[in-house]
Amino acid sequence: MDLAIETNGLTKKYGSLTAVNKLDLKVQRNTIHGFLGPNGAGKTTTMKILVGLLKPNEGTVKVLGQELHGSKNGGVLKWFYEQADSRLSIGYMPELPKFPKHLKGAELLDIYGQMYGMTQQQRKEQIPKLVELVGLKGRENDLIGKYSKGMQQRIGIAQTLLNNPELVILDEPSLGLDPVGMVEVREVVKEIAKEGRTVLVSSHLLFEVEQICTHVTIINRGTALVSDTLQNVSGLLSGPAMLHVEVAKISNTIVNAVKKLPCVTSVVQTGDTLRIQMETHEDMRAQVSQEITRSGGIIVAMSQKTSNLEDVFIQLVSKDQGGKPQ
Amino acid sequence: MTATRTSTGRPHPSWFTRFWAVVRYEMLWNIRKKKFLGLVIVAFIFATLSWVLPVVLSATTDQAINANPEYAVTFTIPGIGIFLFALITAMNSISSEFESGTIVPLLTKPVSRSMIFLGKLLATFMIILVTYTILFVYVVIGGAVVYGPQNNLHLVPLGLFGNILSTFVWIAIILAAGALSKSTIVSTLVALGVFIGLFLAVPIIAVFAGPSPVLNYLPGSGASGTMMTTQGPITVGAGTDGIGANLINYALYSSANVDFNTTNIELQDGQPLITQALAYSEPISVITSRSVATAVVYTIVFLFIAWIAFKWAQILE
Ligand SMILES: Nc1ncnc2c1ncn2[C@@H]1O[C@H](COP(=O)(O)OP(=O)(O)O)[C@@H](O)[C@H]1O
Ligand SMILES: [Mg+2]
Repeated sequence: MDLAIETNGLTKKYGSLTAVNKLDLKVQRNTIHGFLGPNGAGKTTTMKILVGLLKPNEGTVKVLGQELHGSKNGGVLKWFYEQADSRLSIGYMPELPKFPKHLKGAELLDIYGQMYGMTQQQRKEQIPKLVELVGLKGRENDLIGKYSKGMQQRIGIAQTLLNNPELVILDEPSLGLDPVGMVEVREVVKEIAKEGRTVLVSSHLLFEVEQICTHVTIINRGTALVSDTLQNVSGLLSGPAMLHVEVAKISNTIVNAVKKLPCVTSVVQTGDTLRIQMETHEDMRAQVSQEITRSGGIIVAMSQKTSNLEDVFIQLVSKDQGGKPQ
Repeated sequence: MTATRTSTGRPHPSWFTRFWAVVRYEMLWNIRKKKFLGLVIVAFIFATLSWVLPVVLSATTDQAINANPEYAVTFTIPGIGIFLFALITAMNSISSEFESGTIVPLLTKPVSRSMIFLGKLLATFMIILVTYTILFVYVVIGGAVVYGPQNNLHLVPLGLFGNILSTFVWIAIILAAGALSKSTIVSTLVALGVFIGLFLAVPIIAVFAGPSPVLNYLPGSGASGTMMTTQGPITVGAGTDGIGANLINYALYSSANVDFNTTNIELQDGQPLITQALAYSEPISVITSRSVATAVVYTIVFLFIAWIAFKWAQILE
């Protein structure tokens, strides 16, 4: 398994408070990995360790195959350059990012691009694309001091992509945005992941993670409660799924045919709607619709009610709290 | 665009390009500050007044202006000006990166903290160099217009260099305070405290303890003495702020001596009697080289402290 991020026993303490507690985080390459947890769970702290802003008290961190916070010796040059090169292929957007107010949006991207060692030619090609991608076109020559919160988030996303990174780490990219902005940011995040990138995105909002991620890690009090594909996590604690099918030209033949399917436990008919109780939480819509069509029915609408991430999240977190006061 | 990338697949980007980006970042930050623009304007107003006033006076008193061929070469930015230039170019440099949170996106770029520190330093140096050069050129031209042809103009760059060195003593102190405290207010107060403290303390010490040699090793104005020259007596400050003037003094009067006096206040018949007695006398060469050496040591030590403090600063915000 090719991992973009791998932490083992990662622990970070602020004085007596343990913000991250023996965290094992594994992020596979080419996935959108949601990092989900309530406020104060340790998401930001973990991400800061991943980009080298904080040093862990214990544990190891490997990002894109490179050991971070490793050996201290390596001569004067290494002392001078630190691990700057390890950040060449990583784009990071801090939680509520702050950029110098006296710079214009395009200037900021140009200077940051130069910090990645990009040539003027490369920057000239890349920056207009990024400005367009995050929806700041027409405002790129305004001073950042005049940007709204949402625009600062957008430029924050744009600056992560300057050097065409392999790994993009976004700390609550939709924090403080209005609903329209949140939708747009989700679209951008999906766009970012298209070009073979790995995206680690934190959020305390479940529906957000549910809509964009392929994988999820749920963290609470500094420890991962579960880490898997979105599908498996959603199905983790859910009972069997329930299908609601609206059928035109409904008949007893159809109902009986559906009942006979091995994955179906029971069928209740109300008017044109069949409520089908499934045996598993897996997605069986294809089989069911095939059977209905074969029996002469026409499906007008179909929806599957599975327990969503929210249910999993609430169950896991409340279990983890173990009745102790928060 | 390829579907997969490897860390090793990238060509290694130039360190110089990355370093230069930091310099640009800092320069834009500095020259767009209103404080900085304000200070430059004030400096030019003072420089202008210094030769416009004599013109106005001579016009109102019908007396011709005396030619002064030494005007340009003896021009130097006064201690308070040097302090203010240092304060305004350096006060935000490190501390406000922490205060505003801009340090976080900056440190996650592929530039090291040492590169950031040196880039900021180079940008500060360039800004001071350019501003001072323009100011000195302006003074030379103005001086020539008002006071007639100027002598020894080839020495002007020496004075300029001295003023820059004096400024960097304060810049180093301010950067060190800023990197240690991560607070603009604290670093400004520390710098102001040191400056005002020395400004007030030095003359007081001089009165009570005589021109103590300790004063020669402090930043700021230092002990003050008098040098007799062919052009009459010249006041000489032995501290780090006076380097520009002292380099010129040394170049012009290399064998001159500077007298430092003790001031005595006695009561005689109920009346205070103030007398001055020679405490000691030093060649201008000694005073100049000592102030240069002192300034270099202060600059290096405080810059080193600032560098280390910045390199190890935790990002907690
Ligand atoms: N600089 C800090 N000093 C002390 N405690 C901190 C600091 N930053 C975060 N914490 C604490 O560490 C815990 C984890 O915080 P954080 O990583 O910001 O969580 P999240 O991003 O998941 O909301 C919280 O209890 C928070 O109060
Ligand atoms: Mg957070």
